[in-house]
Amino acid sequence: MINPFEDFKKYPYRKKEIPLDRIVRAKERVMDQIVEGYLKLVEEEVKDLVWLVENSRVFKAYSSALRTVQELDYDVDDIEELCFEIDKGRRIPYLISGPAGIYVSALCNNAKEERIRLRLHELKRTFHFLGYRLPEGKTLVLEGDVGDFIGAGLSGGKLVVKGSTGNWAGAGMMRGDVFISEHTGQNTGGWMSGGEIHVDGRIRGVAKTILGGRIYQQGKLIVPRDLTARE
Amino acid sequence: MEDGSMRRKVRDIYGFIQDNLYLNRPDMRVGEESFNSALLFSLLTALNRGKQLIIGEPGLGKTTSAEYVAAMTYRLPLGLIWASEVSGHPEQTEEKIIGRPDLGRLNQGQEVVVWSYLAQLPIKIVDEINRLPETKQSMILDGVDRGNWEYLNDVIINEEYCLFATANYQDRGTNTLIAPLIDRFDVIVESRHPGTNIALVIGMKDRYENVLRSPVYEREFQEILLERQDYQEKMRRIEDLCNRFGDHMEKEFHVRMVSQGERKEIRDCVREIPLDLDANAFLRTVIAELSFCFKYGQKRSDEHCEEGCHYTGFVCHHIKNCISNRFPMTVRTYSQSLAWLKGDEAVGIEQIKAVLPYTLAHRLQWKEDYLAQKQGDTRRDPFQIYLAKEMVNEIYRRYNEQSRHIKNALAVAYQTLSGKDLEPIEGDHPIYAEIKRDLEGVR
Repeated sequence: MINPFEDFKKYPYRKKEIPLDRIVRAKERVMDQIVEGYLKLVEEEVKDLVWLVENSRVFKAYSSALRTVQELDYDVDDIEELCFEIDKGRRIPYLISGPAGIYVSALCNNAKEERIRLRLHELKRTFHFLGYRLPEGKTLVLEGDVGDFIGAGLSGGKLVVKGSTGNWAGAGMMRGDVFISEHTGQNTGGWMSGGEIHVDGRIRGVAKTILGGRIYQQGKLIVPRDLTARE
Repeated sequence: MEDGSMRRKVRDIYGFIQDNLYLNRPDMRVGEESFNSALLFSLLTALNRGKQLIIGEPGLGKTTSAEYVAAMTYRLPLGLIWASEVSGHPEQTEEKIIGRPDLGRLNQGQEVVVWSYLAQLPIKIVDEINRLPETKQSMILDGVDRGNWEYLNDVIINEEYCLFATANYQDRGTNTLIAPLIDRFDVIVESRHPGTNIALVIGMKDRYENVLRSPVYEREFQEILLERQDYQEKMRRIEDLCNRFGDHMEKEFHVRMVSQGERKEIRDCVREIPLDLDANAFLRTVIAELSFCFKYGQKRSDEHCEEGCHYTGFVCHHIKNCISNRFPMTVRTYSQSLAWLKGDEAVGIEQIKAVLPYTLAHRLQWKEDYLAQKQGDTRRDPFQIYLAKEMVNEIYRRYNEQSRHIKNALAVAYQTLSGKDLEPIEGDHPIYAEIKRDLEGVR
């Protein structure tokens, strides 16, 4: 059959592109950069495949993550997309809950949006350290169960968990509020020095060392105990 | 390969006719150069074996311009060309136009045809063609189209020929040219009034003296043409005589004419000149606007699209008929010849744009409301050429806005037809719809 377009054989053609293609491509580019930043963090932090929760190490990892994410242009959808990517493990070969949560926290804290909602119900695995150092003026809503150290080092932000948390919820938090709609694990509020934790469900254990702040269970103040007694 | 000497020779002919025989103003520009359209296209028609319709007021050089060009490009004396001309009038007969029986031989029981000069010579000039009644126009259709002349049981076929026909503007004595005949004309030009001052210069010239006349040679030509001899053999003798006449003109008057071999060499060179991609894509864009119909699949003279069609803003909405397949052939040939004459290596949009109005003006049937809308416009060209020029500018503007997109669509279409799985490129022009139709069944 004759090809009536033969004269244009060597003309450098471009494929048809609908606006959605451009959007998807831009999104993919951003996601590639975010994933690359995460893998870099994991590589730096987990050289011996065991990640230890030490305050200095956590802070160092967070600072490194923050430096990376400050160079990226992303939005809330990209953060949520990253959570799914980490969970599915397609492009990210391994999930280490600590660095993953710290990286997501750095993304949330650096995001342009003041209110961030992450729908995490469908994730098979849970993330630690979500809401780490959430600053004042930011609200982070986590839908679904989450891991340990949720809201650790909270710095004035408002953290809402629509589900249960693991151990050490609100550990070392300084200012701000944590609302947990279901249950928390052990050492809730450990080393916290300010702010409030509200738990609507059961608290498996309050930490022995609490420097300040308040913990409420089902609307009832349970920490500090002296105030509780007075009330 | 031609080294430019042919081009110089043809340009000299153009200059000689313009300065001495057909004095007129330039009325078209191609790049930096100005030309007189009637003279330029006559020259290209003669070299290209084309067919040209020349319109204009009586006495403004329609026939004479064609005669001069014919004489100089075919090495024929002017008197012979006059003798071969056919005039259009209601009483014209096949016997005068094509041939007649040899009455002497008929009396002896032999059926032998005496062919007219028009049928035999490569130059054919039909004066006032629109005075031929429509039924008689059909008589010359085959000869005009294929160089195929039939009378009784005999036939001659012209290997090389060109046609010039003149037409006056409509009056009581004129008829409409039938659509099949008009489509066979490659180009239409107007032989214009040269302007007051040049007209006076023409008026001061001796009307009976003409360097292209040669009674001695004219007699010799006629003697050969009247002989009862095989047509091909006769043409060989005519060509020999043409060469002798050409040598004589060069020696005596320093007028250089083009020989049969040179005409062939020129045509070979012209054929080699490629169309660049923009010229190619632009021509496709023009054809799309002149043949596409969203509602009925293609333009048809008896179907009229309605208001409210998405393509209302395109030329397809303003015309009644569909452009023929002769049109792209004509545009290619004439734009290649123009590029050759200018010494360009490829045909670009410039040459296509220059040629288009003259190849289109006679082929388009405009809708009445569009004609009424444009009738009062200030212009210098005859109405049909003016409309064609306006249309070409309009399509060019559209092409210019999306030339890369159109070329991309054509390139993607090539890849698709070659087996790649690509989506056709969408766009707001009939060309995209035409491309998609070509890809139907592949995707």
